[in-house]
Amino acid sequence: MALTTAPGRTPRTGPAGPRPTRRGAGRARLGEGLAGYVFLSPWLIGLMGVTAIPMLLSLWLSFTDYDILTPLSEVRWVGLANYERMFTADPSYWHAVRVTLTFALIAVPLKLAAALGVALLLNRAWRGVGLFRSLFYLPSLLGGSVALAIVWVNMFNRDGAFNSFLALFGVEGLPWVSDPDWALETLMVLAIWQFGAPMVIFLAGLKQVPTELYEAAAVDGAGAWRRFRAVTLPMLSPVIFFNLVLETINGFQGFTAAFVLSNGTGGPVDSTLMYTLKLYISGFTDLEMGYASAMAWVFLVAIGVVTAVFFSTGRFWVHYSDGDDS
Amino acid sequence: MHPATSPTAGAPAGRDHRTPLTRRRLVRGLAAVALAVPLALGAAGCGDDSAGGDGGPVKLSVFWWGGEARAKLTEDALALYTKKHPDVTFEKTWQANQGYFDKLATLTAGGNPPDLFQIDDNYLAEYAGRSTTLDLGSYRDSGKLDVSKFPKSLLEYGVVDGKLAGVAAGENTQGLVYNKTLLQKNGLPEPTTGMSWEEHIAWAEQVAKKTKVPGTQDPSADYKALWVWLRQQGKDLYKGKELGFTTEDVTKWFELWKDARDAGATPTPDVIHEGNSSDITKQLVVTGKSATSWVWVNQMPDLKKNTKDELGVVAYPGDPSAQWARASMYWSVFKGSKHKDVAVDVINFLNNDPEAVALLGTDRGLPSNMDLRAKVSETATDPAMKQSIQVESDLAQKFGASPQVPIKGHSKVKSELVKAAENAQYGRATPAQAAEQFVTACKAAIA
Repeated sequence: MALTTAPGRTPRTGPAGPRPTRRGAGRARLGEGLAGYVFLSPWLIGLMGVTAIPMLLSLWLSFTDYDILTPLSEVRWVGLANYERMFTADPSYWHAVRVTLTFALIAVPLKLAAALGVALLLNRAWRGVGLFRSLFYLPSLLGGSVALAIVWVNMFNRDGAFNSFLALFGVEGLPWVSDPDWALETLMVLAIWQFGAPMVIFLAGLKQVPTELYEAAAVDGAGAWRRFRAVTLPMLSPVIFFNLVLETINGFQGFTAAFVLSNGTGGPVDSTLMYTLKLYISGFTDLEMGYASAMAWVFLVAIGVVTAVFFSTGRFWVHYSDGDDS
Repeated sequence: MHPATSPTAGAPAGRDHRTPLTRRRLVRGLAAVALAVPLALGAAGCGDDSAGGDGGPVKLSVFWWGGEARAKLTEDALALYTKKHPDVTFEKTWQANQGYFDKLATLTAGGNPPDLFQIDDNYLAEYAGRSTTLDLGSYRDSGKLDVSKFPKSLLEYGVVDGKLAGVAAGENTQGLVYNKTLLQKNGLPEPTTGMSWEEHIAWAEQVAKKTKVPGTQDPSADYKALWVWLRQQGKDLYKGKELGFTTEDVTKWFELWKDARDAGATPTPDVIHEGNSSDITKQLVVTGKSATSWVWVNQMPDLKKNTKDELGVVAYPGDPSAQWARASMYWSVFKGSKHKDVAVDVINFLNNDPEAVALLGTDRGLPSNMDLRAKVSETATDPAMKQSIQVESDLAQKFGASPQVPIKGHSKVKSELVKAAENAQYGRATPAQAAEQFVTACKAAIA
């Protein structure tokens, strides 16, 4: 849908670019530069056409009353009206912000904890570890898929598999997905379950930790917990940082599952009205694309600010091996 | 959707190849990701462009929503047109109702809308108000579009701001569907047209007590039920460019159903929500979670297909003259179409050609042309179709005048009603609070 990442759409650099021919020495340097751009061009064209131009267009649209149906040439400039309305006159906007923050604040840390925990377990040499790595990674491969969300909804509705499982223990389940108090939690569990991507990155990070450090720590009498606190965590902090930033951005952008679960409405009673879903409804159901564009831009800035905050606090807890920073 | 895998995820970490992560590498990677992801959001507003063919023989693009059965019937009818007009062929696109209007809006934004498309009263004013639809008035006046056999009110229901924006592809009306088998098995009376709302709820309570199946699906979130109820109170959904009701009216409506819920006449809120948010094939009367559902009469055959039980249908409770001959859906022509005359001729054909109308049957509702409607009724063999024809023809004699077509912002009014009603159902708001919330939101939506 609208949130497809740019890299997927951008044509990859292929063998299409013409090769620079052998020429005089002076022209060779120029040719080299040109060749660079030629090789870059598929990506550049993709960036400009698919991302940058529509993006700038949406910035302009955010100051207009564009409603999709009216041709672009006839839209009316409304100044900051869309932004004003968003901040002062649309309670459901703030509701969406709250839902999204709740989702991200709970789901992201739990997902990272699960990813790190499983990565630590799988970072050992035992038989079949490769199989488990693949199995745990599988859910994230299916990540944004609609099919998975549909399965999830069916698992967690009143007559779903989860409640049948609970019934084995004599527990009567709830209609998780159609209860406004539990629908968002169901989505969080889905997000947490897909911890495979950060897990693989953690695994890669764990492999980078020099074994001498563990040996030295063990010689000094450090136990397992101490080794984890004093060696693993600091050495892994750049990877944790990377995953934290990435997953937070992903968390903010959660859309598919909420869309499927609520049939595109954000219900029951707006409990799953994620920011991107609100944006989608404004743009495509309510035909207020100008307003939706304004929302997208505020979102962009907000994610930028959150990321900047992460970076500025990073210096206090992220340790880099190149030592340019304590 | 969102990237489940990160670009670095696939890179194998060699055991003997330990490169400590440097800050610069990490920052660069992150910056690229952080930039690229929100960037893609900006692309939300753009549609794709592809040029339509032109010149010589006409190729008309047609777009509708519906299931496979409708697709088959429509394709046959269009093929018949091509047979009679060999120079006209069709580029047919159809899909399920969900997502249809997103697609139609996107096609319009991309400058490539279909020449001829199906639309309903939820969106007709949105499109007509933005001059996306062609005013068919001149074709009506010149007789190129023959509507002489249409019921007047049905034709009127396609007029927005004095312009004929859509031509009814069929007629339907609200219908209360009930599970006949369940009632008969338990020796319970069937609901009848003309029952008051209080009687209906009392009946539903009785059904729930006897059968353990909730008697009626609480329709407080259903705009078409609220609409009928409002008209019975001498109000309406809209009056001109404003709301035709007050907070007090909606409070009464929500209270009516709160009492019904308290009396055990309706399912639990989560089941009601399920009914509110699922398509016709999963309505509660079909899934056995309630003895009645609130639908459009022409949906009967679809409902029937999904249950073994026998179904009956009557008008919504209260005075049936609050119901009207509603255009179940319209055919509209895109204003910028290069083949306007042909598109209008196709509409004329689909509504007035005896063979085409016979082919299409009652899939889109009763045929708009009264003469042909009579013919289709005589020859109908499918029992579900016969039943919906029977009920609609009976009701048609009790119909009142058509209301105005819902105004711009109606789609939002609909979703706000669901939200407010569910708030009351889940006990998160009193009927008065929910009504207040609904009316405030509506005023903002249609402003």
